Amino acid sequence: MTTFGAIGIAGSGLNVYRHWLDAVSDNIANVNTVRSTDESAFQARYIVAEANGADNGGGVHVAGAAFGDAEGRLVYEPTNPLADTDGYVRYPDIDLSSQMTQLIMAQRGYQANAAVIDRAKDMYSTALTIGRN
Amino acid sequence: MTIPAISAVTSTVAPSSYLATTPTQSTSATDGAFASTLASAVDNVQGLQSNADSLAIKAVTGDLADVHQYTIAATEASVTLELAAAVRNKAVDAFSEIMRMQA
Repeated sequence: MTTFGAIGIAGSGLNVYRHWLDAVSDNIANVNTVRSTDESAFQARYIVAEANGADNGGGVHVAGAAFGDAEGRLVYEPTNPLADTDGYVRYPDIDLSSQMTQLIMAQRGYQANAAVIDRAKDMYSTALTIGRN
Repeated sequence: MTIPAISAVTSTVAPSSYLATTPTQSTSATDGAFASTLASAVDNVQGLQSNADSLAIKAVTGDLADVHQYTIAATEASVTLELAAAVRNKAVDAFSEIMRMQA
């Protein structure tokens, strides 16, 4: 464990939540991305977090991304230029309310890790005042 | 006449179990140990400061991927600087205390 163990661990948490925020932002941006039925729908991106082993000094890292359903939702929109002969287009299977919930979770997680860094810094500063007259 | 450079001495002594368990701090009681410790601490602070500086340059040029990278580096640099200053102040206090000793 290094001198700034807590700060490093919380920093890894910040990194993961930042990636989660990016993924949610991408999903929300593409919530209305329409594709034709002969290609796959936009797939929602989900961040897979994985705990670092104890030999890595703890913390967390992004193990990769999981992707949502490529099938999507078939919506009848005959006026859409991408519609097939039956009038259907493919919307991504993204639940906007679920994405908003995840947005708040990512934000709160980021804030919590930032608070840990602040508290750790305060504690290190307290240690420096030991024995000061 | 060219003088060949002396090649580096490569140690062929395998570390015994005794050497492996001997603490490396055992030589720190020699003269100037505190000076070298303080110098390496200052080097450490300088390294952290230059890391924070390069991240600051990345931040203002738009190359910084994570905002928290810079703030964490700056925090670590400042806390380490405070630590080095505290150690130096303690040492100066001890030195002054010794200098005040009268027979």
